[in-house]
Amino acid sequence: MRKMVALMLCLMLMVACVPSLAESTTFRTLYGSEVSTLNYLITSTTWDMTTGANTVDTLIEYDTAGNIVPALAESWEVSEDELTWTFHLRDGQKWYDYAGNEVADVTAQDFVDALKYVLTAEYDSSVEYMVDAANIVNGDAYFNGDVTDFAEVGVKAEDALTLVFTLAQPTPYFLSCLTYGCFLPAYGPLLEELGADFATSNEKMYFNGAYLMSEYEPQGRHVYVKNPNYWDAEHVYIERIEQRYNSESATTAPLLAQRGEVDSAGLSTDILDEWKATNPDIITRSRMHTDYSYFYAFNFDPQYDAEYGPENWLIAVNNENFRHSIMSALNRDYIMRAEEPDDPASIMQNAVTPATFTSVDGTDFTKLAAFDEIEDNYFNEEKALEYKAKAMEELTAAGATFPVKMLVTYRSDDTDWENQTILLEQQMEGLLGADYVDIIPYAGPSDSFLSKTRRAGMYSFMRCNYGADYEDPQTWTDPFAERIDRESGLHTGNTYNKMDKMLDADFAETKALMTDYYAKVAEAKAISDSTASRYQAFAEAEALLINHAIVVPFRVSVRDYQVTKLNVFEAAYAPCGVCALRYKGQKVYDDFFTAEAYAEAEKAWLEATGN
Amino acid sequence: MARLMHAKIAEAEAHASQALTQDLEESVLFSVAPFDERAAESTGESNYSYWRSTLRAFRHNRLAMILLCLMLLIVLFTFIQPLLPNQYDPNLVTNGSNGLPLKNKQPSSEHLMGTNSIGQDLWARLWAGTRNSLFIGISVALIEALVGIVMGVLWGYVRQLDFLFTEIYNVLDNIPTTIILILVSFILKPGMGTIIFALSVTGWIGMARFVRNQVLIIRDRDYNVASRCLGAGTWRVITRNLLPYLVSVIMLRMALSIPGAIGSEVFITYIGLGLPASIPSLGNLINEGRKLMMSPNLRYQLIYPTIILSVVTVSFYIVGNAFSDAADPKNHM
Amino acid sequence: MAKYLAKRLLRSVLTLMVILSIVFVLVRQMPIDGYFPNFEKLSEEQIQNGLHQMGMDRPLIAQLLSFFGDLLHGNLGISRIYRTNVPVTEILGPKIPVSVRLGVFSLLLSMIVGLPMGTMMARHKNGLFDHIGTGFIVLIEAVPAAVYYLFIQIYGTDLLHVSMLYDASRPETMILPVVSMALGNIAYYAMWLRRYMVDESNKDYVMLARIKGCGENRIMFRHIFRNAFVPMAQYLPTSFLNTVIGSIYIESLYSIPGMGGLLVDVIKRQDNAMIQAIVLLYASVGVIGLLLGDLLMVFLDPRISFSKKGGDR
Repeated sequence: MRKMVALMLCLMLMVACVPSLAESTTFRTLYGSEVSTLNYLITSTTWDMTTGANTVDTLIEYDTAGNIVPALAESWEVSEDELTWTFHLRDGQKWYDYAGNEVADVTAQDFVDALKYVLTAEYDSSVEYMVDAANIVNGDAYFNGDVTDFAEVGVKAEDALTLVFTLAQPTPYFLSCLTYGCFLPAYGPLLEELGADFATSNEKMYFNGAYLMSEYEPQGRHVYVKNPNYWDAEHVYIERIEQRYNSESATTAPLLAQRGEVDSAGLSTDILDEWKATNPDIITRSRMHTDYSYFYAFNFDPQYDAEYGPENWLIAVNNENFRHSIMSALNRDYIMRAEEPDDPASIMQNAVTPATFTSVDGTDFTKLAAFDEIEDNYFNEEKALEYKAKAMEELTAAGATFPVKMLVTYRSDDTDWENQTILLEQQMEGLLGADYVDIIPYAGPSDSFLSKTRRAGMYSFMRCNYGADYEDPQTWTDPFAERIDRESGLHTGNTYNKMDKMLDADFAETKALMTDYYAKVAEAKAISDSTASRYQAFAEAEALLINHAIVVPFRVSVRDYQVTKLNVFEAAYAPCGVCALRYKGQKVYDDFFTAEAYAEAEKAWLEATGN
Repeated sequence: MARLMHAKIAEAEAHASQALTQDLEESVLFSVAPFDERAAESTGESNYSYWRSTLRAFRHNRLAMILLCLMLLIVLFTFIQPLLPNQYDPNLVTNGSNGLPLKNKQPSSEHLMGTNSIGQDLWARLWAGTRNSLFIGISVALIEALVGIVMGVLWGYVRQLDFLFTEIYNVLDNIPTTIILILVSFILKPGMGTIIFALSVTGWIGMARFVRNQVLIIRDRDYNVASRCLGAGTWRVITRNLLPYLVSVIMLRMALSIPGAIGSEVFITYIGLGLPASIPSLGNLINEGRKLMMSPNLRYQLIYPTIILSVVTVSFYIVGNAFSDAADPKNHM
Repeated sequence: MAKYLAKRLLRSVLTLMVILSIVFVLVRQMPIDGYFPNFEKLSEEQIQNGLHQMGMDRPLIAQLLSFFGDLLHGNLGISRIYRTNVPVTEILGPKIPVSVRLGVFSLLLSMIVGLPMGTMMARHKNGLFDHIGTGFIVLIEAVPAAVYYLFIQIYGTDLLHVSMLYDASRPETMILPVVSMALGNIAYYAMWLRRYMVDESNKDYVMLARIKGCGENRIMFRHIFRNAFVPMAQYLPTSFLNTVIGSIYIESLYSIPGMGGLLVDVIKRQDNAMIQAIVLLYASVGVIGLLLGDLLMVFLDPRISFSKKGGDR
């Protein structure tokens, strides 16, 4: 009987393969951890930012294909020297409170006041660094107290609707910075009145975006209602968004979705097989995100206990053949199965900069000439064994002992990562032999994880990730940037792989490589007149790291499996900033989006974006 | 699980509070007897053997005997299992014919209890997990007993320490256990040692207080006073009079703190501070299984570890109770 | 009596202060990077600035003194990470009643079911009811709560046709959480009451009552129950506290906005003001619970009085 029903359902779903829109346009979800603040001017976490993203409008925004389009700013122009950006705001925009009462006009001054708030050290904003990244004149100086008059900072309201930014140097990616929290407007008099209390609840903030946050009950619910007076209200289809808190949401949400109590639920990898067996038609995925890149890094400054042989590791890691043997032996497709069981190729990356992140003259950054031979570095059993033979010879001469102990660190509460490490150990030891490398999975604590593992040098080889701050390849050099101690002039090591420490160390080969790399990055940063040559230079620097097996690019964010009544391709597509968090443009369908409809929507979207 | 206390403990506690509050005059308890030479020479020796009587009494409880055998079998099997032919390594990922991990495979002759979500053999993991969990439980019980008894005896015997210990107890008893558990896990890396340490740090104080109360009561009990009057030395009073009474309840407490520690391990895993998956334990097996509760076809991954945990808990509880009944000299008549 | 109470209260306050000081010092041993969500992007100056904002660059003693100073003025501080810049009292305010209500309901239910169950088991000792009851107790104690709670949630909500999530405006969504939380206590009360009543029933006064011709039911309820209940009463306030703290599973599963997982949550996020406030709350309830338990004993049992039982705790 049950099979019959299932069959009928399948048939019905196939007939109704083009989903119809739901009558009620309420979208209900669960969330597993509460936001720590609604204050979009100080937070840097994605989930905290969701409120600001949906309720406060940005100067510019991204459309579904990832193009920058006007939003609160109707138009803008940049001066000849690329240092002055002038934005003309849309007329007649208002601030509303949580109950929908009109409070005041939205003016250019609101952006100035908001930026002043971000740059006020007392408020301890975690996105202040973005003001610096955008090269706003005197931004950092005001924050550090070197400049005390805010009028000297490069942001001005020329009149109610004209906003001018002044930059310290030409910044090709400036527009993409403007969708960050620190460049969102806020009603000045309210900031003045509340100070640190600003946005501690939905009653202590005003909204001018697509939604108003009508209810905020911490560890209870968030409710958003559509702002009918929003300038683009006709493209806001979901009338009401209800988010319920449930700290066990990973377990409960799928069942609640089946029972029709929520409209969207993520499916974790452990229950995926069951869902594939019972409801294969309604499993869809989140869209590709290129905002995060994951890569395996070799640690050049091991700080772990002597029992794991940090000195031996340091010798080994400075041998290029050793690094190549590891890189070639790593079967990325196999170990990625722990988090992406079906299609690892769809998220796998051969460069640190994710594919489709940015392009120049129609060529994707990762397809530039510098990356031509990049694939030769990856999984190849024969090559791995060749490298191993060479490395063994060279390392024995250099005084290393075998097997080389390799600490592979993961976060203890991340099951998928843990499983990936188990697969990695088994696969690589199987290929290279336990007499060559002894892989030791190391469970890092779930709290203060990074500071106790990656930053503390508690790993030999570890999966690291970095998120883009702006739409320019320069952002992907930041994790590897040189860090120098002001007094001693020595390198303290970046917090990722500490490779810059090798500039002061005795390993000639690595030292030369690092000198070369940092020179290339400096050169690339200096180019601002030609995007093509700027990108070319960054590509060469990045390819250098990969071809010499300093980092092993891995993947972008995993595309979550889910059941949802949304068409994920109707959402804004942005490589960075808050736009990707918006519900604007999305519609709630009356049934879960089917796999078939998803495939078609994906195809259409890929065509639209030209990928 | 701490509430799985035996009535005897409560009874003893009640006696303790009563005895401690009664300050009876010596003259009320004793009156001068006329001197009798023969009685004074008699030392009250008998052929009574405490442990033999205990065993005999225990053997009378059939259910407890069965459960004890079951428990011993489980413990034994956790050691034998890896030596059997055709066993998998608990951390080995089995690859299917396509070279990819064999995930979520239903129980079969190949994998007696199926495989988990990354393709590890659950049968092997279950027994490795039981072994690890029992190890944690027994270690915690031993540490608690050792530290608790030493501290408790000091607390009870050394009168100057009483005030200090009582204040320490008042404070420690009121700090939520989770704070200590989490702080310990902050300092140390997740692992067996950390868990055992964290659980023992909070557990010994209960045992110490209990032993202290017992020492206080028993020390001044009539039969001890009598023994001393009849010429028994301190050593003999402790081994023949004090310990037998204490042993029964201490053993019971230990027997109960084993499943208690295993239960706490499940809780610690739940709040995300448990052992890494490379060290299987009943806690992380159950926690992994819990996530699959909503998927009927995968529920087998939850059921087996739960059954083992329940059997272990019930066995320790009933065997512990039966043993403490048997170890009570009052029941040796 | 009044003198005793005053002395006892004073001791409790002292104990509380010691507990708070210990916890205060302990939480300040946690790594500083936990206080900054984006630690790696901050410069040394920014970190120092942040620590200064939190007053954590001062000596420990000075911090502790100002903490107690604020406490005297009823100021518990401001949450920094859990809910940035919101006063702790404002966060705890709405959560306490939710947990208290859940705790009270489940405690009431467990007494309403557990006490008669224990009495009946003692009344029909070794009978069918006793065996069934024992089976229930063993089952509840043996199966991990984390497992049977989930089981009740999945099948219970399906059976009753109620939402899986708690909704304050729909009382029926409260049923399953209350029942789940009560199960453990039911088993606990039944087990203990049975044990106490069986012990009591062998005493002389019971025999006397029987000889005088009292009915078996009258003996059970008028004589034995009243005496057996006395030692249990002492643990009622404490078991209420345990119920509230132990509601972490239930509150997470049903999305109940109570106190259950709060302590774990704030410790993991290193929100010191919140940790201190919750420890203060729990420790006070614990200390007051002990006091109440003793008072309850005196109230129920005329043989016990304070004059003899000096402040042993």
